[in-house]
Amino acid sequence: MKLDPVTLEVMNSRLAAIAEEMGVVLGQTGYSPNIKERRDFSCALFDGSGEMVAQAAHLPVHLGSTPLSVRAAIQRLELGPGDVAAVNDPFAGGTHLPDLTLVEPVFIRGRRAPFAYVANRAHHADIGGMAPGSMALSREIYQEGFRLPPVKLIAAGQPVRDIFELFFANTRVRQEREGDLRAQIGALTVGRRRVVDLVRSQGASLVGTAMEELKSYSGRLMKAALSKLKDGTYAAEDFLDDDGFGCGPIRLCVAIQMKRGRARVDFTGSAPQVSGPVNANYAITLSAVFYVMKCLGAEAVPPNEGLMRAVKVIAPAGTIVNANEPAAVAGGNVETSQRLVDVLFRALARAAPDRIPAASSGSMSNLTIGGYDTSRGRGFTYYETIAGGAGAAPGFDGASGIHTHMTNTLNTPIEALEAYYPMRVTQYGIRAGSGGKGKFTGGDGLIRELECLVESDVSVLSERRVLAPYGLYGGGEGKRGANYLIRSGRRHTLPGKASVRLAPGDHIRIETPGGGGWGRR
Amino acid sequence: MAASPRSADNRPIVIGIDTGGTFTDVVAVINRELKVHKLPSTPHDPAIAVLEGVRALIGPRTAQTLTYSSTVATNALLQRRGARVALFTNAGFEDLIEIGRQNRTDIYALAPARPQPLVERAMRFGVAQRTLFDGQIALELTRTELGRIARLAQRSRAQSFAICLLHSYANPSGEQALAQSLKELGRPLSVSHLILPEYREFERLSTTVVNAYVAPLMVEHLGRLERELPAHRLRIMQSDGHAIGVELARQEPVRTILSGPAAGVIGAATLARSFGVDRFITFDMGGTSTDVSLFDRRANIRSLSYPAGYPVRTPVIDIHTVGAGGGSLARIDEGGSLKVGPESAGADPGPACYGRGGDPTVTDADLVAGRLMAANFLGGRMRLYPQNAERALGRIARAMKCGLDNAARGVIRVVNANMARAVRLITVERGFDPRDFALLAFGGAGPMHACELAAELGIRRVILPSNPGLACAYGALNAALGREYSLTVRRTAPSYDELKKLMRPLMTRARREMAAQGVRSSQVENQPWLDVRYRGQSFELKVALTPHFLEDFHRAHERTFGYAARDAVVEVVNLRLEARAGEYEHRPVRIRRAARRPEPIGRISAIAQGRRRTIPVFERDHLGAATRLQGPMLLVELSATAYVAPGFTMRVDDFGNIHLEAGA
Repeated sequence: MKLDPVTLEVMNSRLAAIAEEMGVVLGQTGYSPNIKERRDFSCALFDGSGEMVAQAAHLPVHLGSTPLSVRAAIQRLELGPGDVAAVNDPFAGGTHLPDLTLVEPVFIRGRRAPFAYVANRAHHADIGGMAPGSMALSREIYQEGFRLPPVKLIAAGQPVRDIFELFFANTRVRQEREGDLRAQIGALTVGRRRVVDLVRSQGASLVGTAMEELKSYSGRLMKAALSKLKDGTYAAEDFLDDDGFGCGPIRLCVAIQMKRGRARVDFTGSAPQVSGPVNANYAITLSAVFYVMKCLGAEAVPPNEGLMRAVKVIAPAGTIVNANEPAAVAGGNVETSQRLVDVLFRALARAAPDRIPAASSGSMSNLTIGGYDTSRGRGFTYYETIAGGAGAAPGFDGASGIHTHMTNTLNTPIEALEAYYPMRVTQYGIRAGSGGKGKFTGGDGLIRELECLVESDVSVLSERRVLAPYGLYGGGEGKRGANYLIRSGRRHTLPGKASVRLAPGDHIRIETPGGGGWGRR
Repeated sequence: MAASPRSADNRPIVIGIDTGGTFTDVVAVINRELKVHKLPSTPHDPAIAVLEGVRALIGPRTAQTLTYSSTVATNALLQRRGARVALFTNAGFEDLIEIGRQNRTDIYALAPARPQPLVERAMRFGVAQRTLFDGQIALELTRTELGRIARLAQRSRAQSFAICLLHSYANPSGEQALAQSLKELGRPLSVSHLILPEYREFERLSTTVVNAYVAPLMVEHLGRLERELPAHRLRIMQSDGHAIGVELARQEPVRTILSGPAAGVIGAATLARSFGVDRFITFDMGGTSTDVSLFDRRANIRSLSYPAGYPVRTPVIDIHTVGAGGGSLARIDEGGSLKVGPESAGADPGPACYGRGGDPTVTDADLVAGRLMAANFLGGRMRLYPQNAERALGRIARAMKCGLDNAARGVIRVVNANMARAVRLITVERGFDPRDFALLAFGGAGPMHACELAAELGIRRVILPSNPGLACAYGALNAALGREYSLTVRRTAPSYDELKKLMRPLMTRARREMAAQGVRSSQVENQPWLDVRYRGQSFELKVALTPHFLEDFHRAHERTFGYAARDAVVEVVNLRLEARAGEYEHRPVRIRRAARRPEPIGRISAIAQGRRRTIPVFERDHLGAATRLQGPMLLVELSATAYVAPGFTMRVDDFGNIHLEAGA
């Protein structure tokens, strides 16, 4: 059965609404500021074979990677009614450890196999490991936190206490973890109910066909978008600053071969994996390609796996873009993913010179602070990403202080942060003049400075502190970012990736990169 | 001297006014009778039409109360014609107004953009002062600093001042000192702790700045109305459906930004009360968009909205808008799916059948499907071109490889699905079952799509109120005076008594302000509310302050999110006090009973339930009370056409409202 254009559109809207609603529930019931204030999560719907059919527009970095988690869970576990699986293992479908994915099968009357799956992924502010916030300068996965291969968190409707206890025993701030997990499970329940309702009103065969057809639809839209690019091979390279252990610039390169609406994206030639925590696994690389391809589509291409049917991704194992166990990967998700986008767009700038923007800040400037809050009598971990400048594009100056590409999380309100954590924000503003010059100017980065009120462990995981974001077609580079520790009024420069211990009264100051300029002035 | 408010018949005149983009509607109750006047709006100076309309209805007399839903603040914001604002905020945080929450709205845009900040960088002034979350002052505001700020303000050539300091909800002394020193400069002052004493700095700041941005225009406009309007009391509609006196509207115009749509919901509620319905969904489908809202014995209030993209955290009636209307464009996209909207043909060129342009729209599909009579559009005042509609829709039919009728049905089905999604969002996704509600249809296209939309949602009762075009003015006429007061308190597991005590300062302020608007304290109803969450969450649910507020909260959480955590610690974040005083309610007039069975004015070939057939057309105004007919049929009136689907029974009530019931 093939769907007519009307039913296709109607079902597209119904399935997308289910993913959206799960997102609303998760965002409004989450406990950690990271989920409730910053909305660092995403929700999606999968068909019975484990292919993604709808995703709420939350975070691009979860686009291509959530499907791999769901498939890992399906393959390793036989999921029955009332089961919920959890996974965060980067080498078994995850991305980095803080991103915990929950998967629940949806059963309908008269079928023994799952009809569909609902899933969500949330970034937990702590997942254990060597430093609060689990985003430290690590050398191997074992230092990065509690690793969960696909396991049943709930079996036949009953919480598996042992797993929960194991999880809480290995992570910091138990209450927050409990609340966030409850919110994740609640969102799945709502999603499952909505799928069952939809099947009840529309019939299983129509909904099943719609899920299949929706993937083909995205595939067709993508192919139409790609056919507008001239056939040929477009190559580019870009570099990460270093791995935090002094390895120097790390090369990422790509060759995109366009041929009659199909793309072959080959990362062969990229650097071997490194010791520091900037390795990306395959899921991240796939997400970056997914994101860039979706940006190219003129139409709003529904985010599902059909989107990638016209695209082949080659990422050699053992490299920075497809690291092998036990590589450290905490920053692959947040930093290398941005560089992957930079290198992909740099290559595509030649295929579509009238549309592609210069490099954006290229770093999420991750800041994690944790310790024991003596005044409130409890442990804490605080995680924040700090936006930068957007790259200028033909016809547009870049926006300032805005999250770009693979992330779109909100900031934590200062008035929420200070009421909840032992720290004080002393400055939050635009870093004037940091955008690249050009016919169109790059956006400016940000300055965020915090004072720690108790002894705190601080981790900074940032990029573009050595090598600046590129401009395009004669536009200037964006200004590099900088990190400082301020002690007794004296500024000490910190490297792009650092773990330090702050005393009460010390300040940490992050200045984020500007976006590149576009065109000669 | 103006005539006495108790005119010849000794009854005060009450007036309600709505200024829309095209028309200004004035309704007045004179000697118990409802008088109506509709005239073209005067967007360059809305006061002209308002004054003219009032004069036309009441002549030289003076009204007792005049309530007005104003678009002045809305348009100032939408068209960016507001004031040059100077912002005073903590040094080091001057750019917050530009950074916002540092996210972007369209995550896949190659060049992400945000609305331009309403205060340019050179007009943001940092103040050396710092308050902490618990109200302690970490850095005192010195006299020297105050002097420096006053000089900067003086030199800034700003027309309006906004003041917002961190944690001012916990201790407003810094803002108070600043306000005191800027007051003598004689410009409108918007002070964050007065407008919104709630935590989350960006939303409070943005609300304060929007207020400052629209204040000077509003002050001028209201001043003029006050001088020239023949009314003893002038009231302005707020976005939450209550009216406020002119003095408060001058200070806090941000509360009036969604004045018109809120008046529409209140108008619908007043009408619905007259036929005994208090749970309904308003469905207002116009040319470019559709507004839906849920009314569950009271209007659903939301605390955050984004007019023109700027966050505003004052209470607004929860009205959800989708880009689906009569003018929505239909097309087959590159992937082979039928898309309808959000792009619209607008008023010019308008739908293809208007004869000015060629792209197919929902109205064209309605015309082809026989839901609209070409001869009778706008009472025959505007000519429609059915051939143009067919030609345009033919393009869709060819792409779909189907006949014209199927293309028309397809366009109607998709636009209905888009609207159904909007209704599900305000019902199912908030824990309500749409089947428990009636659907009240308004707007030029609402009555045409209401039956099929209801069927898609399982709603069995559709109501087409009489005079649907006057709902907003009617709402203004009937609106109660009121305002919401709020305060962030952040208390963990507080007792009922403690909360009652904390509520006292809000009560005092409410009493003072209501008295200033001429309301006796015996008339005032106070409804205290709480914003509650489980400690650690960040999204609050609103529950009434009663001895059993805790249990109410657990239940609300369960209904909204599917679970309750009865063992978790509960935190009360904000107190809210809704103070209101109902001043007036108009009782609708009965219409005559039907003398005999009505005769159709004609017949039309229409697609009904998937097949083409001839259905009768009735003139709505000819139907007397207690008329009963079976669908399918069309009902035409001046401003709209209604389509009654097969299976629906139509009944006219004593007030001329039409009730459609789905058959068993």
